[in-house]
Amino acid sequence: MYIIKNALRCISRSKGRNILIGIIVLVIAVSACIGLSIRQAAESAREDTLSTLSVTGTISFDRQSMMSQMVKPEEGKEPGSFDREQFSKLMGSTSSLTLEEYQKYAEAESVQDFYYTASLSLNGTENFAAVTSDTEEEAQSFSNMFGGKGGMADRFNMASADFSIVGYSSETAMTEFQEGNASITDGAVFEEGTAEAQCIITEELATFNNLSVGDTVQVANPADETEVYTLTVVGLYTDSSDESGFSGMGMNREDPANKIYMSYNALKAITDTSAAIEDNENVLSASLSSTYVFATAEDFEAFEAEARALGLSDSYTVSSADLTAYENSLTPLNTLSTMAGWFLLVILLIGAVILIVLNIFSVRERKYEIGVLTAMGMKKGKVALQFLTEIFAVTIVAVMLGAVIGGVTSVPVTNALLENQITSSQSRSDRVEQSFGRGGGGGMGQNMPAELPTGNSNSFKNMMGQANNYITEVNAAMNLTVVLQLLGIAVLLTLVAGMFSMLFVMRYEPLKILANRD
Amino acid sequence: MSILSLNNISFAYDSTPVLKDLSMEFEKGKIYCIMGRSGAGKTTLLSILSGLANPKEGSIYYEGKDIKKLNKYTFRSKYIGVIFQSFNLITKYTALENVVLSMDIAGVKGIKKKDKALELLKNVGLNEEEANRRVLKLSGGQQQRVAIARALSYDPAIILADEPTGNLDGDTQKEIMEIFRRLAEEGKCVILVSHSPAVAALCDERYELKKIR
Repeated sequence: MYIIKNALRCISRSKGRNILIGIIVLVIAVSACIGLSIRQAAESAREDTLSTLSVTGTISFDRQSMMSQMVKPEEGKEPGSFDREQFSKLMGSTSSLTLEEYQKYAEAESVQDFYYTASLSLNGTENFAAVTSDTEEEAQSFSNMFGGKGGMADRFNMASADFSIVGYSSETAMTEFQEGNASITDGAVFEEGTAEAQCIITEELATFNNLSVGDTVQVANPADETEVYTLTVVGLYTDSSDESGFSGMGMNREDPANKIYMSYNALKAITDTSAAIEDNENVLSASLSSTYVFATAEDFEAFEAEARALGLSDSYTVSSADLTAYENSLTPLNTLSTMAGWFLLVILLIGAVILIVLNIFSVRERKYEIGVLTAMGMKKGKVALQFLTEIFAVTIVAVMLGAVIGGVTSVPVTNALLENQITSSQSRSDRVEQSFGRGGGGGMGQNMPAELPTGNSNSFKNMMGQANNYITEVNAAMNLTVVLQLLGIAVLLTLVAGMFSMLFVMRYEPLKILANRD
Repeated sequence: MSILSLNNISFAYDSTPVLKDLSMEFEKGKIYCIMGRSGAGKTTLLSILSGLANPKEGSIYYEGKDIKKLNKYTFRSKYIGVIFQSFNLITKYTALENVVLSMDIAGVKGIKKKDKALELLKNVGLNEEEANRRVLKLSGGQQQRVAIARALSYDPAIILADEPTGNLDGDTQKEIMEIFRRLAEEGKCVILVSHSPAVAALCDERYELKKIR
């Protein structure tokens, strides 16, 4: 007990030296606090985002895997030469997964929920036209761009199809409605799972065709105008997420206003009817896509192995756009976190060296005191313990003060650094865009904000025009973990600095010290 | 029975012998004076007696026990009180704090240390105001009194003093010697190292050290 009392007394009697040590530790503590806070903010952001993230995954054809098979040249051909025949053969040998196969993989333990959609392109009829803003010249120009009549546009009905019909397996699959981007404004959504030809259309399309809930519309096979299907409009909706970004390009069906939603079974009834028509050369076929919902990112990671075990071929790959977007959103914060880690290490090393030197000087300066104390019968270990207590007391006060200052400044400092990091990432992206002649201002450029947002995240477009939801701001960086880590640093610094002074104390012999003084 | 005895003590600094085959006996209730010229080994002997230095040869017995078998820190902090020539007080502490610290090191318990320290300081002639002054702000004589109070703080059986009156004026010398006399009368063994014949005259026993050639 008297050691602590003595240590505190010594601190108060040697203010200058201890204030100097305190200031150095304070600088270390503030820097360490900010560094740790940045790392903690990154970790918290990761955990928070993960906890709220709805992880979905899809199974798609693995083109990369197919291309890797392609690079094996056949005999007599130059290595690396592109073999078109082989490519066509491989493409032809792969078929889309059937609904039954998708459902089979949904039985994997990791899958929490499963839904699917089918999409189909249909044309309008005399009494039901697609919303269009293009002039005929623009449509012709687009058609020419893709080969004109008989070209690619014609083959794939790219220019001619008016509507994009989407059939949903369940309401869960209607993500735009689930996320609140789309909502019914009149009538109601079609019955879940119904095979009846009920649909919902956009308000814009309804206005364009002077339609209201309860009316019927007719849509036709783009390749055969005589193959007509009648749909009943049961509801009208608006979709705020589709208001920007559509550039027309002569494809009416790509216009969000021309999207028609219905039940999967209703859409299937259309394709089944088309297939049942005798000698039909233009059978309607829908493209199927499935979505698997996972409770956690770990479940998603486990899914691929489970799906393979259930028979998923190596030609298909499992991917999650959510997780990719999530990883992308954390990129600037993670980079900052890594830099903060190195900064922390350097600060601690420099701080430790300074403290060691200061303590060695301090012990040498107090050699006489050590001699007197040991001559009075105080054990060297206790003298060393007193010195250690002094360092610890000064360090702990400075660290606590540093924690307060660091706690106050860490959030604005983190956000300022994060803003720089995002700006830097974006500048890099802009340079790449300019190199590719796409102009600056953020990838596709149209949605890049002029100023950094004040929210927690904001969309930026990357070089491929895909949106990156970077985390641009942290609200809280410091927590109990950071405080505990700071305390750990205080103990570590005390021990490192104190150990050297203890070595000196243990080496001193009272007789020599006192004899030299005498 | 002697409280402290030296049997054939020899000591050398590297190859220079300082003490050779020295034997002495010290008893309670007496003041001893160790005399000798400069370099005769007076301070070295005091260091050996206080346990700060170990003899190369021979043994020292405290109440019949070889001090090698005793913990040297315990011996220094409990059984023997040393008054150094240059006082060796902790200068950033007050007189009172120096005395209390000494009691803390000795592990004195069951009393109010501050009160006891004030009483000791009062007994050697320092009032409360002086007791609460930093050591550096006290005169040489007052510092000597603080050193005496500190040596007495844990009630050791032996008091060792190296030139206790060397830096003091005549009146103060007299007062200090009176304190030692009082301590001897209380049953303590007081061993003084001095080259002053006046001090030696006031002691009960005298040992004279001769320089080894």
